[in-house]
Amino acid sequence: MKITSIDDLKKIKDEAQKMTALREGQAEFKVIVCMGTCGIAAGARQVMSALLDEIGKRGLTNVTVTQAGCIGLCDREPLVSVEKGNEKVFYGDLTTEKVRQVVASHLVNGQIQGEWVVHVER
Amino acid sequence: MADKERNQLLLCAGAACISSGALKIKEVLVQELQKNGLESEVKLVETGCVGPCNLGPLLVVYPEGVFYQSLVPEDARELVEEHLLKGRIVERLLYRPTEEKVKTFIGEIDFFKKQEKIALRNSGMINPLNIEEYIARDGYQALAKVLTQMSPEEVINEVKRSGLRGRGGGGFSAGLKWEFTRNSTEKPKYVICNADEGDPGAFMDRSILEGDPHTVLEAMVIAGYAIGSDQGYVYVRAEYPLAVERLNHAIAQAREYGLLGENLFNSGFHFNVEIRIGAGAFVCGEETALIASVEGKRGMPRPKPPFPAQAGLWEKPTLINNVETWANIPPIILQGAEWFASMGTEKSKGTKVFALAGDVNNTGLVEIPMGMSLGEIVYDLGGGIRGGKRLKAVQIGGPSGGCIPLEHLNVPIDYDSLKELGAIMGSGGLIVMDEDTCMVDLARFFLEFVQDESCGKCTPCRIGTKRMLEILQRITDGEGREGDVETLEDLAYTIKATALCGLGQTAPNPVLSTLRYFRDEYEAHIREKRCPAVVCRPLFVSPCQHACPLGIDVPGYISCIKEGNYIDALQIIREDNPLPSVCGRVCHKPCEAKCRRNQIDEPAAIDDLKRFVADYARRNHLSLAVVMERRREESVAVVGSGPSGLTCAHYLARKGYNVTVYEELPVVGGMLAAGIPAYRLPREPLQYDIDQLRAMGVKFETNKSLGKDFTLQSLRDEFDAVFLAVGAWKNAPLGIPGENLQGVYAGLDFLKNINLGGTVEVPRKVAVVGGGNAAMDAARILLRMGAEEVNVIYRRTRSEMPAIPEEIEDAEFEGVRFNFLMNPLEVIGDEEGRVAGLRVQRMRLGEFDRSGRRRPAPVEGAETTIFCQLVITAVGQIPDVEGFEAGLEKDYRGNVVVDPYTLMTSIPAVFAGGDMTGEEATVVHAMAQGKKAAYSIHDFLKSDEEEETVIVGPKRIKAVEDTPVLGEIPRTKAAELPVRERVCSFAEVRMCMNEEQARHEAERCLRCDLEKTMKHFQSEADEVEVEEEVEEEA
Amino acid sequence: MEAVKGENLVYNEVDEILEKYQDEKTPLLAVLQDVSRKWGYLPRDVMGYVAKKLDLPSAQVWGAATFYSFFETEPVGQYMVRVCKSAPCHVLGALNVVRALEQELGVKVGETTRDGKFTLQATSCLGVCGVAPAMMVNEITYGNLTEERIREVLALYE
Repeated sequence: MKITSIDDLKKIKDEAQKMTALREGQAEFKVIVCMGTCGIAAGARQVMSALLDEIGKRGLTNVTVTQAGCIGLCDREPLVSVEKGNEKVFYGDLTTEKVRQVVASHLVNGQIQGEWVVHVER
Repeated sequence: MADKERNQLLLCAGAACISSGALKIKEVLVQELQKNGLESEVKLVETGCVGPCNLGPLLVVYPEGVFYQSLVPEDARELVEEHLLKGRIVERLLYRPTEEKVKTFIGEIDFFKKQEKIALRNSGMINPLNIEEYIARDGYQALAKVLTQMSPEEVINEVKRSGLRGRGGGGFSAGLKWEFTRNSTEKPKYVICNADEGDPGAFMDRSILEGDPHTVLEAMVIAGYAIGSDQGYVYVRAEYPLAVERLNHAIAQAREYGLLGENLFNSGFHFNVEIRIGAGAFVCGEETALIASVEGKRGMPRPKPPFPAQAGLWEKPTLINNVETWANIPPIILQGAEWFASMGTEKSKGTKVFALAGDVNNTGLVEIPMGMSLGEIVYDLGGGIRGGKRLKAVQIGGPSGGCIPLEHLNVPIDYDSLKELGAIMGSGGLIVMDEDTCMVDLARFFLEFVQDESCGKCTPCRIGTKRMLEILQRITDGEGREGDVETLEDLAYTIKATALCGLGQTAPNPVLSTLRYFRDEYEAHIREKRCPAVVCRPLFVSPCQHACPLGIDVPGYISCIKEGNYIDALQIIREDNPLPSVCGRVCHKPCEAKCRRNQIDEPAAIDDLKRFVADYARRNHLSLAVVMERRREESVAVVGSGPSGLTCAHYLARKGYNVTVYEELPVVGGMLAAGIPAYRLPREPLQYDIDQLRAMGVKFETNKSLGKDFTLQSLRDEFDAVFLAVGAWKNAPLGIPGENLQGVYAGLDFLKNINLGGTVEVPRKVAVVGGGNAAMDAARILLRMGAEEVNVIYRRTRSEMPAIPEEIEDAEFEGVRFNFLMNPLEVIGDEEGRVAGLRVQRMRLGEFDRSGRRRPAPVEGAETTIFCQLVITAVGQIPDVEGFEAGLEKDYRGNVVVDPYTLMTSIPAVFAGGDMTGEEATVVHAMAQGKKAAYSIHDFLKSDEEEETVIVGPKRIKAVEDTPVLGEIPRTKAAELPVRERVCSFAEVRMCMNEEQARHEAERCLRCDLEKTMKHFQSEADEVEVEEEVEEEA
Repeated sequence: MEAVKGENLVYNEVDEILEKYQDEKTPLLAVLQDVSRKWGYLPRDVMGYVAKKLDLPSAQVWGAATFYSFFETEPVGQYMVRVCKSAPCHVLGALNVVRALEQELGVKVGETTRDGKFTLQATSCLGVCGVAPAMMVNEITYGNLTEERIREVLALYE
């Protein structure tokens, strides 16, 4: 669709926000994989596939997975953030094994995997 | 996760935590776990010291890594119920490193806390492939506002009023640039986004393009409307394929949504954006070169004016801004110029993105408000220096920028302050460098880059930088000559003044700024052929040897140990170090700091190996043959028998001089005997080293003091030369009331008294003021003398303590309590004039001082009292040279002034070295000065005809050649005395390695010394091969 | 090497590229980039052909081709390995990476392996300094390089 007025833009904005809210309402967790060149260079693609695979294997339906660019902390790439309500937990230096463990502890059991946390936004 | 253990509790059982009640906590924890049936699920582990001992007892709960502090038994009960049973973190007990911060996970860092994100507001937050996510975060709102509510003039005004300056390096006002382009009458006009981010170390533009491509597009359309253009180009460098992909995707989406193309927002305004991809040329970041490249030509700059605003792409008016500048535009339009201008400094508004790289813990992109201090960026956002090393300098602004040394950590980050210090904001590359960086090598590196990337159009840049590079290459190859520095400066200023474009004009900056702050490093390379950072390979054989002030052939003696040939090892060590038993115990080990093994696992235990050889010799009563070059008539007096005096005496004796050493105390050894406690340096090994000197004919006169028993004049009458090395034995006073009360001791007097067999009545509670080695020694002695509570009071924090880290750890381990951020205000006395306590001011760390450490500042109104019956002051030592001749020149701190090359004082034939000259106060530096003085005195005394060849000398033992083992081998740790036994005696704490350990440890040496010879063999072998091939062909 | 298969075929392909950019005011760089992507380098006769078709002096085409570091004028391997040699990578051991690559591939920087598979080049900053040291194989960037990781990455292209 074409946007031809401020109202159009607002409509899309509201819709997008509503969609996100809806998605987040059903899905308890929003998981973002940082996929800038730095992340990819450090192995973010492998982490992403392991993440999707693990979520699939466990049949989790309360999770949305998406990608984003670089958050700036390139040193700790691959980085993944797990958002739930107002809390956003960033895990750093992940590997395929570690991200599977994050799924098991954080997404399944609600236990933050403390040792790999680099930042928490509350 | 393991199923059976859900949690692990790490209870700190370091001495300090135990002393504050950790064992009781453990007891309660065990009880509570049992009570709640958790004993199989939760494992309780006792660990060694985990850090902030003043906050003990400490408990870490895994897997969450939650850190609890200052626990009392009641807390333990609560923790089990709340955290372990219900999974709720008990906020109240969380570890607070400084006042307000609540830290919950061990790995959690402060990286994001002080950041202010405008340009990076969406990067990493939204899916860059989804335009709706951008719109959901106010995307394209600014464009809508501009096209439906604002005139082009209003837009330009808003940008102008915001104070936004170009973020690509130049720092020119963005608004003015927009206005100039608008005012050009020629049509059509173009908008260009400069995404040719070439500065090494800068990658914010890539990050924005990859993470938030729409923001750049939106800004370009806004600019198009403002200046009257309908076509934009984004020039992206070839190295960024992902950015191109995401940008292409974004352009297609924006077209689909009608946000690019015809009649945007029904306003009748059209705008299109195309991508141009570079092909790898740094100079294309320069705007005129970039334009040439978009035009399909070689990307060469041309002189300005005309500026692109007048005649740019295809000679038409063109507005060029870089990615980060563009990313600031939509928020400025949406939230207003005032909002933006409220951030930053007077002349530098808003925020700036920096790419933190180098030897800093957290590397990556940070966006900070302008005006934040450089130190805050390095320490608060960057998390400090990697591997506990010391910061040396920060390189800002890429190849066109400069270095800022640690003296200037307070500099606020803004365009003008940086310029004043010889750096530039540039595109925001910020490379943090630690003590292992050689500044000459760094300058060479940047110049090599510029030389590589010079387009060749103008002579100053093409040839001038080449000449500069040649000189720098020569200096780092160890072939620098007098005058090189001056030639470099000449060339630099000429190039700056005459090069055609920004690349050339700024090319000499790295050289000029390193010369400005690190001229001594250039001089060390040129005059002494020494690379202080131990980087420039051609200048040394092995890093350890180059780092050692005495220059011991470390790989040489280690290779002999490996072979089991300890006599040869001893010979090699003693060649350069006459006190191996001493150094093997108390050296601060600059060699190990530079050991290459550290890159694989840990440095080789060089010092322990040296000690092994020395102890082996002593236990087996080995003495090396006394070798003297020749007998000489001249005599030399050495005043002071500390490390500096003893070393000087040794080398003079070896040269054949008659040496007499005078010592004020009843024992020989100076600081070694009277300053260092026996548990670190027992008296037998010290005596053994001194005995070797006696065997060489050195005479010792104890209980003889300069100014009392003799004068400088009488010495000069009796001897041909004098070496003064009386150390620094005077205590710096605290300068607070109560310092004269009974029970206050000056640190050095106390140490001297105890070490020489005296005694002091030690009460239950004592306090030691200071953070250096003398303070640590005093504290540990007091523990051994029965004090129950030893408090160290230090005004900064642990990481700023000047004492050797091992000493601090040992003190902590043995039970010394550390009270950081406290400054004594008054020693409180009781009615009888005896010490009753110490009133202290609580401090916080404020600005950075010239040593690069945060300066403590008082926390107003926060005072506290530490009760104690004895106070030791150890806050600094100064030389006591009052009784000496008036002719002896001293500096303002009371140190004796010497010529840096000869060590001669202002009085002819009188030399001085060691602590009294204000040199770095370590044993090995003092020894190095003694050695230097010996050679200098020899130069002074020897007849002009004497040839410099050694007539009789010990044969120089060669290192054994073999291949190093590269795999990981853990460092061998010599045994230590258990704490229980330590605190009740003065027995030596660290043991000697046994023979098996030593030979095993020797295997770990990487034999850097062979690198050169092996390479030599290599190239010879190559040549042979080539010759053979040639023959075959013939 | 590949470019020397039947001349007409080659020029047909060049024509296709030229056609793609016919509306461009100054298509030279874009054309050269496509040529380079196709053959890995800029064959001399193709450059001559491009100059003729675009009505440019061949010196300008040659000039552009030799100015930019991403253009090669000699045949290169199937995979272009560009190792970053800029300051942040340098500080974190780029020299070791270069050494390891040279050892693994058996060529020096600037050379192509005998089987024509890999060409090793040094490049300026790849902009992934947070994961330094880094390198790029064709269009994919790899970071946090160690000797082991280099072997893993190269194995992907074997």
